[in-house]
Amino acid sequence: MKFGQRFRVDVLEGARIAVFSLRANRMRTVLTTLGIGIGVATLLAIVGIIQGLNTSFDKQLATLGANTIYVSKFPWVIKGNWWVFRNRKNLTLEQVAQLRQQADFITAISPAVLRSSDVAHGASQVSNVRVNGVWSDYLTIGNYEVVSGRFLTRADEEVNRPVTVLGADVAATLFPSISPLGQTVRIDGKPFQVVGTLGRKGKVVSENMDMAVYMPFKTFNSSFGKGRPMQIAIAVADAGRIQQAEDQLVGILRRVRATPPGAPDDFSLNRPDTLAATYEQLTGALYAVATGVGLITLLVGGIGIMNIMLVSVRERTREIGVRRALGARQRTIVIQFLLEASSVSAVGGLLGTTVGLGTAKLVSLVTPLAADVRPSTVLGGVAFAALVGLLFGIWPAARAARLDPVEALRYE
Amino acid sequence: MTTPNAPGSGPLISVEALTRAFFVGGEEVRALRGVTFGINRGEWVAIIGQSGSGKSTLMNVLGCLDTPTSGRYMLNGKDVSRMDDDDLAVIRNVEIGFIFQTFQLLPRETALANVELPLVYRGMPAKERRERAKAALDKVQLTHRMHHRPNELSGGQRQRVAIARALVSEPSMLLADEPTGNLDSATGEEIVRLFEQLHHAGHTLVLVTHEPKLAARCPRAIRLSDGEIIADGPGPVVALGGTGVLPQAGHA
Repeated sequence: MKFGQRFRVDVLEGARIAVFSLRANRMRTVLTTLGIGIGVATLLAIVGIIQGLNTSFDKQLATLGANTIYVSKFPWVIKGNWWVFRNRKNLTLEQVAQLRQQADFITAISPAVLRSSDVAHGASQVSNVRVNGVWSDYLTIGNYEVVSGRFLTRADEEVNRPVTVLGADVAATLFPSISPLGQTVRIDGKPFQVVGTLGRKGKVVSENMDMAVYMPFKTFNSSFGKGRPMQIAIAVADAGRIQQAEDQLVGILRRVRATPPGAPDDFSLNRPDTLAATYEQLTGALYAVATGVGLITLLVGGIGIMNIMLVSVRERTREIGVRRALGARQRTIVIQFLLEASSVSAVGGLLGTTVGLGTAKLVSLVTPLAADVRPSTVLGGVAFAALVGLLFGIWPAARAARLDPVEALRYE
Repeated sequence: MTTPNAPGSGPLISVEALTRAFFVGGEEVRALRGVTFGINRGEWVAIIGQSGSGKSTLMNVLGCLDTPTSGRYMLNGKDVSRMDDDDLAVIRNVEIGFIFQTFQLLPRETALANVELPLVYRGMPAKERRERAKAALDKVQLTHRMHHRPNELSGGQRQRVAIARALVSEPSMLLADEPTGNLDSATGEEIVRLFEQLHHAGHTLVLVTHEPKLAARCPRAIRLSDGEIIADGPGPVVALGGTGVLPQAGHA
């Protein structure tokens, strides 16, 4: 037989019989489809949400800048005993000066201290605002954008000016209708003049970057007291040489801080991208567990398909006998049942994809999580479902084909 | 009407020393114990015997649904006793038109679709096989019922659909297994008349039955008993218990 004829016999007729049989047993088809659909939906929703989490996290971290290093007593992700970090010596302005002098790759450097305060203007007030004491370089390091007025200057620092720059949310809340420039805000009761406002940054992890104000480092210390642990923010010229820059920073800091040779570093270097790696490790485990759950659901769906196919083969034993007597080959019977099994599960896959996507989308609408479903995931879902059907259809289909035609014709 | 049997050399069916043994519970059951006969083109032959005589086994082998344990079976010049399953499927499709006691129609398909089925497995385009299926239904006077499903047809009509399905592939022989067994006598008579017509039109008919009355209507009958041929001759003679002319008398 020519290929065209074979195709007509095996695939076209097989598909016609499959559709026929699926339509004849609607309820059964729907239930079987559901099994696979739930598996695919679970898998897709989980994959979508986790992919979304990772994407939005990457995006957030990108706003921190790829070529920045934050030196602090505490690492961003604490592994081990908190007290070890707590007992480290504070970083000092002297160390900032040494770094600026000795390190080669630094383009911007600033000390940074932080407290949480109430900020008020007239009758309106916002609580839990991140108050940052920083230098003018902080604008570049943090990748901020000034939308009105100016950022802090070196002169502000030198003469200890009581000025402040407002983050987008603080500005919008305290000054809904008038320009904040030149106005006075009270930060924990102390007056500061607003000299500028910043553009919107959004959230990084769970921190709202726009619920923040900035003031000169020296002003911060004289207003709220010294002795607060300081962070050193550094921008490096070339993101490609960031490892080299880090090594140099470590060397300088150990020398300046007189860390004994052989002792571990008594400071931590934090980078947004290493934070991302840690984060992805975390979600990776979640990903694996959730994928496992989805796969088990699919397995259960697959067994459902196998079960229903075995029933279908038994029910149609005589039909198989008739078809064999009239000239159907074993392969033709196999293809007929495989098509039936894989079309049920492909329909299930499509259904599951729709529901899974919908769920992920819904989650992204009602929660701050951003779902991200890639086309490859969708395609993979449908293809995988069809494959599951094919796999679990093999045994029933082989049983159908191996039936003795004489016995099959006699089957009651 | 087309000539159903293309001219060829020798008999259409030639069976030599055919045996078929089954193993049931570790014991050998010899259903056929060396059967030899020939059937020419255009013949109408009844194979008759009691249940357990081996006639069903012989029918299955003749229909290429089963293969012999030993011996040779030549069908239309081809040795089908050595063929594999795939080749046998082709032989069943091309050479044989089955007519079963229980009709064996697909219940969910229309009469027309049932008749089309052998042509489907031949890979024939839909339009052509529809034409041929209609023509076959016309031969059994059922074109007016072709869009009905089997459960909407009477027993006689169902068997006529089955006969149309056997005719549609223009096989070398029609192989009928107790074709009137599930029909009342009037309807059975209708079907036998149809066989007579087909015989006169030149079709080769092999009819397996346990009913002497039916065998008596056939020009030739072969009687089986305990897996051996005990009579082969004119239908009315063999049906009444005569031996006819045995080609190999005394063959064990």
